[in-house]
Amino acid sequence: MPVIALLLAFGVYPLLYAVWLSLQERSRITRQFEFVGLKQWGIALTDPRTWDSFQVTLTYTLVCLAVQVVLGMAIALLLDTERRGYGLLRSLMILPLVVPPAVTGLMFLLMEDAQFGVLSYYLKQLGIIDPANPLLANNSTALIGVMLADIWQWTPFMVLIFLAGLRALPKEPYEAAAIDGASAIQAFRLITLPLLSRVIAVAVLLRSIDLFRVYDYVYVMTSGGPGTQTETLSFYAGRLFTLANFPYAATLALIVLISLNVMAAVFIKLFKVRF
Amino acid sequence: MRSNPALGILRDVCAWAIVLLFVFPIFWWILASFKPYTAIFNTTPVYWGFEPTLDNYRVTLGGVSRLSLITDEGAAGTVAGGGSSYYSIPSIIDSVIVALGSTVLAVVLSTLCAYGLSRFRFRGQQNFVFWILSQRMMPPIAIAIPIFFMFRDLGLRDSHLGLILAHTLINLPIAVLLMKSFLDDVPVDLDQQAMIDGANRWQTFWLVVMPLVKGGLAATAVLCFIFSWTEFLLSLQLTTQIRTIPVKISTFVTSTGTEWGFITALGSAALVPSFIFIVLVQKHLVRGLTLGSLKD
Repeated sequence: MPVIALLLAFGVYPLLYAVWLSLQERSRITRQFEFVGLKQWGIALTDPRTWDSFQVTLTYTLVCLAVQVVLGMAIALLLDTERRGYGLLRSLMILPLVVPPAVTGLMFLLMEDAQFGVLSYYLKQLGIIDPANPLLANNSTALIGVMLADIWQWTPFMVLIFLAGLRALPKEPYEAAAIDGASAIQAFRLITLPLLSRVIAVAVLLRSIDLFRVYDYVYVMTSGGPGTQTETLSFYAGRLFTLANFPYAATLALIVLISLNVMAAVFIKLFKVRF
Repeated sequence: MRSNPALGILRDVCAWAIVLLFVFPIFWWILASFKPYTAIFNTTPVYWGFEPTLDNYRVTLGGVSRLSLITDEGAAGTVAGGGSSYYSIPSIIDSVIVALGSTVLAVVLSTLCAYGLSRFRFRGQQNFVFWILSQRMMPPIAIAIPIFFMFRDLGLRDSHLGLILAHTLINLPIAVLLMKSFLDDVPVDLDQQAMIDGANRWQTFWLVVMPLVKGGLAATAVLCFIFSWTEFLLSLQLTTQIRTIPVKISTFVTSTGTEWGFITALGSAALVPSFIFIVLVQKHLVRGLTLGSLKD
């Protein structure tokens, strides 16, 4: 098929190029690339900054994923009803999805601003954050500040997918369960969850791929700061790219790619996802 | 389910509260775009009681220079701005060209590819589909680097075509998977029927299968469009002259101050097309995003 060939050419070339690039070094004097073998990989594996950003990325991915799945499921269950007005609610719920991520970042930047931010204001009123420690300027809370933007934007995505799953569920098991006197929670745990497991698996897979590559929010909101507290792997690679250290940036990008491939392959085997 | 009226009302209250919580940032954002600077920069949130103004829109969309606003009215921009232009219509045109171009290309290519995947069985098919998905695992920066050099050599840097190709590349994996799940919904019997009646493969595809996946096609197109419309990193790294809207907005964050008024105005304006499109195809999108996992 010519189309598949085209996709191959389009997809494989950048990959090969990145691999080639990761084996080079850019000479300070001639500005030409020189072959240095696995040197960049050696640097990457011993660079504490890489490991830190790997850790940040992993924390970011796991926390956001957990919150989005749980919250998404709760909201989907809440909205899955024929009561009046819920069609409108479902439409409103997907609004965050169309906001450009860079704009979402700016939105939350404005809302989390230490002096003028509406979110900071209410959190201060509630006594959750200390006025002396702005959300994004503090080592321990900056990452949470960025995650809030991600969670706001992508929980609706989960809701959307879970709602589709909930709507497609058969009615009979619930009727049977009700006759047997099962509580709503039992029905959810024993009927809904198993039947939805494949939908949940696909949602988790798609989302974690995007989460692990997070760039926009970090770029706009904190630029990896304070210090490197919120620097993710993608962002570190991007920073190296702007510093014209292309080989090292390519190496880091490949590390992201390899980690994701391994994790996704394990996940697909484990949960038997089929396409 | 027993229906208890009190529980029902509680449910309504919870549902509205949660949805409004999610809508609030957008509401706040749009509200801010109509505020004069003094109302944006207030230590307690301002909901009403400010003088609504269109100044932010006049500068970003109407081409009124920021300077003239200051001298005329002394109202806008007490923050000293950089030298960059705030007039954004050229950016909007760039964004429209790139988004439409890459959407058309991605939809055509992905539909053909997905038809192949959906109708023919071949060895290693699951692996091939996984490989397509794994294309999506490439961090955009990993794509940006090779493409940056490739485009420099081909002279595609700073061209609409270059950005269109780059966005198409990123969109293809998800578009192929989406289209495949829509095409899988069309029974293969229909194809065979048509072929028995003497249609060739192309006619079958064009006249029998395509009309049945129109909704799915629209949903895929909208998803591609929104992606390209909102894409940031590639547009930032690959172009300097052409500025798509998200990149343009990020230039309003200057070293001498952030022009929140203009950011919110342009940001609000950019939401309109995406929102219209997504509401139109919402139903199909939901079906497709589960990537066929709803079938047994």
